[in-house]
Amino acid sequence: MFDQVEAFCRPASVPEALRLLQRGKGQARIVAGGTDVVIAGGGSIRVLIDITRAGLNYIRRRPAGLAIGSTTTLSELEDSDVVRKAAGGILVRAAAACGSVANRNLATVGGNLANGSPAADMATPLLVLDAQTVVAGRFGRRRLPLAEYLAGATENRWGKSILVELIVPAPPGGKRCGWSFQKLGRTAADISIVNVAAGLQIDAKSRVKWARLALGAAAPTAIRVPSCEQRMVGRILDAGLIAEVAEEVSRAAQPVSDVRASADYRRQMSLVLAARALKECAAQAGVAI
Amino acid sequence: MKTMELRLTVNGNPQVWDIAPGDLLLDVLRREGYFGVKRGCETGECGACTVLVDGKAINSCLMFAAQAEGREVVTIEGIAQDGRLDPLQEAFLDHGAVQCGFCTGGMIVGAKALLDRHPHPTEDQVREALSGHLCRCTGYKKPVEAVLAAAGRKEAAR
Repeated sequence: MFDQVEAFCRPASVPEALRLLQRGKGQARIVAGGTDVVIAGGGSIRVLIDITRAGLNYIRRRPAGLAIGSTTTLSELEDSDVVRKAAGGILVRAAAACGSVANRNLATVGGNLANGSPAADMATPLLVLDAQTVVAGRFGRRRLPLAEYLAGATENRWGKSILVELIVPAPPGGKRCGWSFQKLGRTAADISIVNVAAGLQIDAKSRVKWARLALGAAAPTAIRVPSCEQRMVGRILDAGLIAEVAEEVSRAAQPVSDVRASADYRRQMSLVLAARALKECAAQAGVAI
Repeated sequence: MKTMELRLTVNGNPQVWDIAPGDLLLDVLRREGYFGVKRGCETGECGACTVLVDGKAINSCLMFAAQAEGREVVTIEGIAQDGRLDPLQEAFLDHGAVQCGFCTGGMIVGAKALLDRHPHPTEDQVREALSGHLCRCTGYKKPVEAVLAAAGRKEAAR
């Protein structure tokens, strides 16, 4: 399948990996966990560049939040106490929803995003957490909002650069916060038909102070839904508001029909999952619905 | 065809193999005679090709062989020690958790990784660990029972 491959490189640093990528003249492919690259097949790939030994495997606490190296595996995210404690553990919940244990021991968080799938389960909780990506290329290192990175990954615009790090700013904290990740798949290990991540902060009068909601597998990339977030802020969180926002989510969806689900079903399920996510957030934040 | 050298340990034995740069670990292991590593879906869904790499269960159909450089690989052939079956293997036999056996090697390797980490798993943890292993004849009830029994047996042996 990969019989055109002439060299398998294991660079020990990002600059070395970038040099190999430049030299590959478009026929070099970055590989980390391999769970997507192998399935996509070899085609005209002549050089494989394995970045799992390039020093990108880490989870670091920074004053402003977390820095996660792009080749950190999904299992390592699941095992990290720091990640588990951040934002109600939504990153851990999303990581645990990506395929089987044996898949997650290989698959990396960076690969999940770089692959450019609209159904990447890590994308929605990272959007909710206002994550930024750090991309290394000939230009040096550049910080990009995750949404911008995802759009580029879908259009295959990052061919000559490497996603090296995710920066996750410290989210709102305290007891009056709630977080949720909801996924619907054919089986527990399958790719999302739809997924939703949400985060809410509630003030002392049960009004929404801060809101984030992201929708996955229902548009060309995972997307935040700012219209929903704006609709919630300043209002009392109750069943009526949740129903209104869930409707709005289904209007924001631009789903496709494929082997897993029809566009109509995805749209309907985006409403259902959004409502579930907001109810869970409310319960965590101590708001009775 | 270009080749490269791969140095790794398989079931405790150091090996140096010539591989093609694009070879997958599954293909190399089978070429070298580890036929307990089964070729199933080749898309990381069925779990028949599961091996341990540095103690972690992985799908060998999704890993390039060159990524195993310097790593310790354990296949189903390496689970028994000194001619004695592992408690997991005994338990699979005792509980009738093996019919055609195609998925069994991968299942036992996956369960081994679980028990090495969680010697007293809950049934949910066992089911989660086995969820990446598709079985089309035995079903899942008996393998789950076997893994739980093996965990208990390990305890009794201590």
